[in-house]
Parts: sequence; C-alpha cells; structure tokens
Amino acid sequence: MGERALELLGAIALRAETARRLESGGARAVLSSVVEATVALFEAEAASIALYDAATDRLVFEVAAGEHGQGVIGVSIGIDQGIAGFVFTTGQALALSDVASDPRFGRTVAEQTAYVPRSLIAVPLVDERGTIGVLEVLDKHSQEAFSLRDIELAAVFARQAAVAISASRVERDVASLLRASLADLTPSDASPAAATIDELVAAATAGLDREDDSHLWGLVEQVARVRRADPDALELVTDLLEALARQSERASRTRRRSRAGSGRARDR
Amino acid sequence: MSDLDLPAWSEPFVGERGGLDRLAPLGCIDRAWAFGGVDGSGVTVAVIDSGVERAHPAVGGRLVESVCVEPGDDEPIVVDDPEAIDVVGHGTACAGIIHGLAPGADIISVRVLGPDNRGRGAIFAAGLEWAISHGAAVVNLSLSSKSEAMFGTFHDLADRAYFANVLLVCAANNVPAPSFPSLFASVISVAAHDVADPWTWFYNPRPPVEFGAYGVDVPVAWKGGARLVATGNSFAAPHIAGLAALIRAKHPAATPFEVKAILAATATGARPEG
Repeated sequence: MGERALELLGAIALRAETARRLESGGARAVLSSVVEATVALFEAEAASIALYDAATDRLVFEVAAGEHGQGVIGVSIGIDQGIAGFVFTTGQALALSDVASDPRFGRTVAEQTAYVPRSLIAVPLVDERGTIGVLEVLDKHSQEAFSLRDIELAAVFARQAAVAISASRVERDVASLLRASLADLTPSDASPAAATIDELVAAATAGLDREDDSHLWGLVEQVARVRRADPDALELVTDLLEALARQSERASRTRRRSRAGSGRARDR
Repeated sequence: MSDLDLPAWSEPFVGERGGLDRLAPLGCIDRAWAFGGVDGSGVTVAVIDSGVERAHPAVGGRLVESVCVEPGDDEPIVVDDPEAIDVVGHGTACAGIIHGLAPGADIISVRVLGPDNRGRGAIFAAGLEWAISHGAAVVNLSLSSKSEAMFGTFHDLADRAYFANVLLVCAANNVPAPSFPSLFASVISVAAHDVADPWTWFYNPRPPVEFGAYGVDVPVAWKGGARLVATGNSFAAPHIAGLAALIRAKHPAATPFEVKAILAATATGARPEG
C-alpha cells in the first residue's frame, strides 16, 4: 500500500477517533446520570457501569456514583472474573447478600473494587447486539438485601444505559473498524496475512494518543461538552471563540509587521 | 413508569398468584408417588455453568466428572478439567441446590466461561451438546445466549435433548431480549418465587415461563468453600432440576414431557394460605 493510501487511512483514523471522543462524551453523561439516579432510587452506597472493551476483551468500569463508588472507575476485569464477568458472559441478572460476612468471598471482590459490599445486584446491559456491559448496585441503606423487584428495577436502569450507548454509538474502536474494513476490502482469494493488516492498522492509528495531540483532544472534549450546553451558553461560547480567533489573527498580523519592520527602533 | 412493564417472569409466582389456579392439581398423583423414597441415585445431572468446586461441602462429593469448553481454533473443544474449579461460584451454588434436593444424584460440571469472548454462544452450545451425549438425564442451564445467530443451533440442541430423553431446565431471563434455549417449548423454563422453601414450586399455565421455584434470598454455596445468600432465576432453576432428578430416579421411563407434567401435577397450590 502506497504512502498516499496510508496517509488517507491515517486521516480516516483521526476523524473516526474525533467522532468517537465527541460521542462517547455524550454517552458518558447519560451513563453518569443513570448510575446517579440508581444510587438515589435504591438509596445505595454505590452504583457502577462496566462496559465491554473489545480491544482488550475485558470489562472496564466507566462510570460510578455514590460514596464508595469512585474507587472502581477505570478498573478493568477479565470477562471470566467475578460477578460482573459472570453476568456479562451469561446475561443472567442476580443479587447476592451476606457477602461480607464470608471473608473468602469478600477478598475477591475487594481486590477489584477496594470496597466490600454486604449485598449487591448485577444486571446485564443488553442492546440489539447482545450484552455490552454490566450495571452493579452495592448496599442499600435501608435493607440488608435486594429483592426480586430490585433486580427488575435495576434492569430498567440498565436498559436506559444500553439505549443511551446504542443511540450514540460510533464505532467504539477505531482500530477494529479499520481492521474489519481492510479485511472486507481485500478479495478473499488474495487475502493478505492478518499480520499485514495489523501492521497497516498500527501505522494508520499510530500517534492517535500522542502527547502533543493532547491539546487537540482537549478541544474535542470541550466541543463535546459544548454540544450539550443550552442555546445561551452556546452563543456565549461561539462569541468567545470568535473573539479568540480575531485576537490570534491580530497577534499573527502584529508578528508579521514586527518581523517586517525589525530594523526600526522600538521606542517612540 | 411504563418502563416497568417488563416481561416480569416472576410476577405470576409472587404475591396474589391470581392466574395459577385455573385447574386443581391433578389429583391422581401426588409427591409420594412422584418421588417418595428416592434420593436421585442413578440419575446424572449436568450443570452447565461457571464450573463446580469439587471439594465444596455443599456438593457432598457427588461431582463425578468435570469438563471445560475452550474456544479452540475453528470450533470449541471440550477438555477435561480434573481440578474441578469454579471461576465464579455460581455453578457451585447451582450444584449445591441440586445436591440439597437430590443428594444421591451424580453431578457433572460443564464449565463454559472462558477468557475469550469470541463465540460465547458457540461455547455454551458445545457444552450443551456434550452434556446431551454424555449420559446426563437432567441438564441445568442457569444461563442463556442472547445471540440471534445461535437461535437455530440451540433450537436443534433442544430438540435433540428432547428426543434423547434429556430434560433441559433453564433459568428464565428478565431482560427483554431473545434468550436461548430458555424460551423454547421443549425445555422447562423457571423463574424465582419468594417462599423460603425448596419444596415449594408453582406451575404457571401461561408460557413461556411455566415454573416458579425458590429463588429469593437462597442460602447457596460459592467459590472458595464460601456460602452466601443469592437471589435470581439462576437459583430457581436448579431447584426444579433437583426435583426432576428425583422424578427420573423414581420413574426412569418418564420422558421429558412426562416429567414436566408430573412437576405441574404436584406443584404447590397457588393461593397463599389465609
């Protein structure tokens, strides 16, 4: 594949990644509000949502709410591990209680979340593609255990979360999108080795997480937030951006002038 | 809150139980006839789940075989799992419930949770296929596949089980999505009720979920020799699997459809007392 083609792939990857970051911000906001509502409704110590990450074949805790929830954000677990892994792989909702009273159980949970609940609910997040994650609710203030009704209620919240994710889903993983399209584009009788495709994908996505692009991703994140702002705020942001743009244009004109007149004395 | 109008499979079995008494339990047979005096000896129950911990006291040393389904290169392969581990605790919970009701029954564990997510439905299917052809009279499936692509495969396996005289007992799923094989007609689909008694079960004449069994705040065995209290349809299904094992021990000639009829005929009266 020529250099020009690789350049194009790189450009596609950059745009896809930008779109992904713009969208995931929106989904994350809904997910956050779902776990916050879950904590409020159940009067629970914590609630969290873990989503499946195809690239690593693991579940990653994306959002959490409640006093004891925050420690879990960013934690990833194998899909064959623990309650969340079981609920994800089987789609079977369940509630457990008297958990902390048995230290043999508590330890395995604590290793992952730094908080050992007395009781918990775990329900799958299911969309039209299948199970995409798990919603967990830990420890009701009011009661020792969760009821069957609680499981159903949690399933309703999980459905809201799943709908939010589906609605805003851009291909979550740019690399897997590129890999799939390259594999599809190549005639099967002349299919290049998987390794070749992997190399191309790696080259095209190289630098997407580069440190010097952090300003760009910061800006993308801000834009994602602005998209959810009310019209007044949006107008204000537009005005501010215009003012900033005018200022930077003036600044560059001034720089050009000062370079042009560098021989002239500065002092009046 | 129209969102609460979910397929609430347990609803017929909790509270008023209004829809369950359209027909009195069949009078000519009772529980003494159905399974009196047997403990499940001679019957093998397969638990397709997260594994079964052989050493757990709740399993009573009845685990006779343990296998594990791995993804394989082309298709899933079934390999021996001599260590008999449970990677979660859930399978041991199910096996413990079955052993509690049918202490003489042999238990086979088929572990179908692997670290590889590809073809999860295929791994379940391979585990089920193995169980059907390895002497299990009852198979407990406290899990299901959500993959539409697996509909045909599971339908075929449910038929094969039925024709091979293997009874599939499946936990119903509360999520409004396809769920195989728990929604097929030939299996016994089970949801949870909240009466704290393993010997209380209800028959619901409105499919797809025909049976309700103890599944709320059930004391269960768990991974690492632990015990805890669990709620979910997952824990209701093995109660029916245990009862089915007893019926099959007493009436080895009974077919899956007859076992289902006996379970319906001997179900607990629907209305709460008083």
